[in-house]
Amino acid sequence: MNKEWMKVLIAAVFEVFWVIGLKHADDVWAWIGTLIAIAVSFYLMIMAGKTLPVGTVYAVFVGLGTAGTVIADILFFGESFNLPKIGLIALLLIGVVGLKLVTKEQEEVSS
Amino acid sequence: MAWIYLILAGAFEVVGVNGMNLVNKKKSIVSFLTLIIGFAASFILLALAMKSLPMGLAYAVWTGIGTIGGTLVGMLFYGDPKDWKRIAFIGIIIAAVVGLKLTT
Repeated sequence: MNKEWMKVLIAAVFEVFWVIGLKHADDVWAWIGTLIAIAVSFYLMIMAGKTLPVGTVYAVFVGLGTAGTVIADILFFGESFNLPKIGLIALLLIGVVGLKLVTKEQEEVSS
Repeated sequence: MAWIYLILAGAFEVVGVNGMNLVNKKKSIVSFLTLIIGFAASFILLALAMKSLPMGLAYAVWTGIGTIGGTLVGMLFYGDPKDWKRIAFIGIIIAAVVGLKLTT
């Protein structure tokens, strides 16, 4: 896991925070935190897009953010836990890991 | 009308991703405005669409349009690699995200 992918991963973690914030924030501090999380996640994503293809970064960001949000809903907000959801999260992770692997190959070829 | 909002929301998301590309190319006011206005308009239109469409469905369509559009913009205009493996993996991610949004 190199530094650029780490940025995408952390951006996705902050995305989970702000999605939860948009849904549950009910006072000024929660909204300020939500806005900071939006700013941090977009900043990291833009930085990662300097060296990785932006389309790839965005797809991974959306994918990991979605998986994280679904998992957070199950763990902290009492959403139901079922097999199709787990299967889709696994499928999503296959897509993310695969995309990371082919992108690495590309960088090695081009450098 | 809700569907028009939703499709426009997806289109503005693509504008926002295009803004990300622009910011990386050249840090100008126009680049930042494209990024911020793109995503802000996209979220507002998505919220409008969700007033009458089911949330999961609206999210799924919005994500699909934005991610596919963003990928195409990168490949067509910013020289992102276009190999079939990358397209296949992005397709898998989009299918899984759309599935998750529809089921939750």
